Amino acid sequence: MTQPHRLFITLTLLALIAVGAVIYQQYLTQGSQVLRVATTTSLYATGLLDALGEAFRKSHPGAVVQFIAVGTGEALRRAEMGDADLVLVHAPALEAEYIAKGVLGEGVIFAYNYFMIVGPSEDPAHIAGKDPVAAVREIYRAGELGYAFFVSRGDESGTHVREMTLWRLAGLEPDGKSWYLETGSGMAETLRVANERRAYTLTDVGTWLKLEKELKELQPLVAEGDILLNIYSAYIVNQNKNNELARLFMEFITSEEGQEIIREFLPMFRPIGQDTIEELRQRWEWLKEV
Amino acid sequence: MTFDEVVAIIVRSLMISGSATALASVWSIPTAMKLVMSDSRASRVLIDVSNALTSMPTVILGLILYLVLSRSGPLGSLGILYTPIAITIGQSLLITPYIISLTVSLLFEKRREVWETALSLGATRWQAAATAVREGAAQLITVMLIAFNRAIGELGVALMLGGNIKGFTRVMTTAIALEVSRGDFSLALTMGGALLTLTMLIAITTRLVSKIL
Repeated sequence: MTQPHRLFITLTLLALIAVGAVIYQQYLTQGSQVLRVATTTSLYATGLLDALGEAFRKSHPGAVVQFIAVGTGEALRRAEMGDADLVLVHAPALEAEYIAKGVLGEGVIFAYNYFMIVGPSEDPAHIAGKDPVAAVREIYRAGELGYAFFVSRGDESGTHVREMTLWRLAGLEPDGKSWYLETGSGMAETLRVANERRAYTLTDVGTWLKLEKELKELQPLVAEGDILLNIYSAYIVNQNKNNELARLFMEFITSEEGQEIIREFLPMFRPIGQDTIEELRQRWEWLKEV
Repeated sequence: MTFDEVVAIIVRSLMISGSATALASVWSIPTAMKLVMSDSRASRVLIDVSNALTSMPTVILGLILYLVLSRSGPLGSLGILYTPIAITIGQSLLITPYIISLTVSLLFEKRREVWETALSLGATRWQAAATAVREGAAQLITVMLIAFNRAIGELGVALMLGGNIKGFTRVMTTAIALEVSRGDFSLALTMGGALLTLTMLIAITTRLVSKIL
């Protein structure tokens, strides 16, 4: 007859092994300072953050930087819940909102690039070379007539926020239209959907350049206009767990060394220069309001 | 992604999901035994609940646990969000209903053959149940294997609770999701192939081992 306690000994052993394995995993980062950075996907997917993180680790041995790549909207929400020490984001209007809420503290601009509207090569809505706001107006018109589709991120990411600004400036509401498709996914997936559906979409230049070769149906159509400036900022979260390290990392990405790494990613990302920083600040203030 | 990194991710996935399966078995198997033994109306309802919970979307479980483990949540002071421990706990909760439901149906089957005999030979109820479990050991290992596969193949919990942190909480499924979002389909497919090969190998090994048992 099998005794029940034999079974329980087996189960207890299993539990001990499990707990041991988990504690071992945990130990790997014990004793080092951990900085948690919630970041936008475009910075991570292009490999820029890994490059910055690696360089930072070299000059600050013992520091562990953990990146959690989510959209700007989610990064800020996680910061609000106290689950990040630093955020790297690109949606001035949302940033201003969270600064006002007292979630975000000190911040700096550390890089910039541009958004652009890409679409099918034959350009059914005739937007090529137009002003961005005029372009979305044309897309809306062509969409209503059944000539064009537009693919939206629909995920409260920085890119999505900017797209909403464009529609608002055009005085239009595309939500619920049959030609307006919301993917709710990252930039790469959204670009692929646009490519398959031969539709228009708004993208950051970094992700576009990375995938350009595979997106044979698409080409950049609108890339000029102040409203397409894409500014990346870093903020210390007020309710952070590692203020010193957060400050060091923020200083690092704006330092000579950090900016040099960003320069290597040209033209996906552009470093900030002495001459551009003042103008970028003014543009940020403007983007926050529009 | 370097070869070393891929190996580290595979080892990490095995450790996390293996621990989750072991942990979940610790409470799930005795719970299943208790449910079969009492065989009351309440236990039948609980079995229905457990069956229903197998449909839990992983990302919902991940979200619920995120809110619990977040620094602003009730267990935030533990500081285990975005660690392998969080994923292990999440996955063990995810597969608990699987192990309970499958073990219950296994024991109901064994009940007829083994249990009643054991009872008629004068065993206590727990002894009889333990005998049924022992008799069904081979199938029980299959149950744990299915649970393990569910754990290692799930994405929602690992992403919400682990955060896909490189070198720390990045497991196979979150690495695959990242490569898809980065647009590197070929690497994603390679990782997917590695995951399936791995679970296949584990399944074959388990079958061979349970034959010996």
